[in-house]
Amino acid sequence: MTNDTIIRFDNVTKSYNSNTTVLKGVSFELERGKFYTLLGPSGCGKTTILRIIAGFETPSTGDVFMNGKRVNDVPANERQVNTVFQDYALFPHLNVFENVAFGLRIKKVKEAEIKERVAEALKFVNLAGYEMREITEMSGGQRQRVAIARAIVNDPEVILLDEPLSALDLKLRTEMQYELRELQQRLGKTFIFVTHDQEEALAMSDEIFVLNEGNIQQSGTPVDIYDEPINRFVADFIGESNIVSGTMIEDYKVQFAGRTFECVDGGMKPNEKIDVVIRPEDLHVTTQEAGKISVRVDTQLFRGVHYELSTYDQDGNEWLVHSLKQAEVGAQVGLDFEPEAIHIMRLNETEEEFDARLEAYHDED
Amino acid sequence: MRSKLSPAAKIYLAIVFVVLYAPIFYLIFYSFNSGGTMNSFEGFTLEHYQAVFDDNRLIVILINTIIVALLTGLFATIIGTLGAVGIVSLRNKKMRNVFLSLNNILIVSPDVVIGASFLILFTMIGVKLGFASVLISHIAFSIPIVVLMVLPKMLEMNTNLIDAALDLGASKRDVLMRVILPYIKPGIFAGFFMALTYSLDDFAVTFFVTGNGFSTLSVEIYSMARAGISLTVNAISGLVFVITVGVVAIYYFITSRSKKAEEV
Repeated sequence: MTNDTIIRFDNVTKSYNSNTTVLKGVSFELERGKFYTLLGPSGCGKTTILRIIAGFETPSTGDVFMNGKRVNDVPANERQVNTVFQDYALFPHLNVFENVAFGLRIKKVKEAEIKERVAEALKFVNLAGYEMREITEMSGGQRQRVAIARAIVNDPEVILLDEPLSALDLKLRTEMQYELRELQQRLGKTFIFVTHDQEEALAMSDEIFVLNEGNIQQSGTPVDIYDEPINRFVADFIGESNIVSGTMIEDYKVQFAGRTFECVDGGMKPNEKIDVVIRPEDLHVTTQEAGKISVRVDTQLFRGVHYELSTYDQDGNEWLVHSLKQAEVGAQVGLDFEPEAIHIMRLNETEEEFDARLEAYHDED
Repeated sequence: MRSKLSPAAKIYLAIVFVVLYAPIFYLIFYSFNSGGTMNSFEGFTLEHYQAVFDDNRLIVILINTIIVALLTGLFATIIGTLGAVGIVSLRNKKMRNVFLSLNNILIVSPDVVIGASFLILFTMIGVKLGFASVLISHIAFSIPIVVLMVLPKMLEMNTNLIDAALDLGASKRDVLMRVILPYIKPGIFAGFFMALTYSLDDFAVTFFVTGNGFSTLSVEIYSMARAGISLTVNAISGLVFVITVGVVAIYYFITSRSKKAEEV
């Protein structure tokens, strides 16, 4: 544990009643001043982790540490943590100023200081001059900012954001992604962001935790997770991907779709069964002769930036291709890709084994 | 307006309201009759109202009634509001439903039963019948009404608001005083006014538990009406009607104002 660790989960589980287990032994460490994202489908336990950090829930077993102190039994109102709720949870009977000032008033801060700090917080979220507005007079995006101002005004060590962008429309959501990221960097505080939107996670985070069914599947930087997904779930959840079964003949040689290809992965047993991932944008359409795999174009969708082709090889595997050029539906074409585009996933590999293997064969290079 | 009413529907609606209000206006109309009976209107006079205000006993009863109503409103509102908060905060769904059902049973059970049981209770434990017994029983039957008025507001409240307040450092007391109570204020007002009107016009329960020279308006009007028709009864009824309309108007004003604040 380094000095910079602000939150540590040690084998935390959470179950309601006796049969529903939401978290199944989650351990991680979060460093001060970084932007973390908990990513996963609904019901994966990401919000539960957030609520445990906030103090609304207590772990069933395991320990939670904040600044090295065990905080399992510290109630929410005594934690240096503030939350931005999914539905903002602004107080409808108070105006913007009083909403932001709520935490300061509870702490009996002097009136002059309250005024100063609220004004500063509102300036931070570009809402200066909106003090006297009622909450009902604010748009969704503005309410969002009030909720953020209400959290940062208390100068907490950690700010928790529970899917705060999900209620906004696409354009505003993209804008807020930039703003949140920038805000986090200006404040230098630890942000923990919960979302099911992989684009949001990739765009904003220093580090992403991908969760499924109460377990952390993989953690790492957005690039790591996108390029080296550990298993089918992560590969599928983060971006679109083509996943096919294959065999690792030996190091740097993999067999799938009826052929053997050169690749850049190693560290597996000879002839081990594995899954192969190739991202749709790494596949290029060429002539049948020049391609590594021969496929038939089944359908084609125009996505604006690119065409999305759904193609099938002789074995019936589907290959999704993002192509800048239009293709002919029904045509036989070839797909080409670089050895680097092939990502190998071992079946049932844990994160520790995965990291160890990655390190081992990278050292050889 | 979604649809315009057909002429037939309008006429029907008018007839319904005429039938409902006619006896009251008939009664009030004759309270201005100088003739002394309700058979024929002979001339306009305020002497029956004069008689009400000259009758010290009636004025004392009127004041008693109002004091009982206000105190009932106050105590029932406090107890009922806390009760509603308590019921909603029950995590156990079964327990919550049990409490709600117990609450609703009190509302639908006949006043006569409540009155009789209070009479038995008070005589058993030796409470002297009079002001205290009337007040206690009024508070008792008003609490369920307040609970019922406050409950929807409590249920409608986003529980994240409570989490948000805790998150911002609020203690349980802060949460109640700064978040829950301001939020459910319209329900509390509604409960208060309902308790007030229920207490003002209660006859059955009061009839059982009053005694020792203490009386409220409805009981007094009843005994006066039994003693023989006097237009003083009409005058009092007219006054009570005006007061009731006033209370309804205040209630309407408060709720429509708070609704406007919510909707803008």
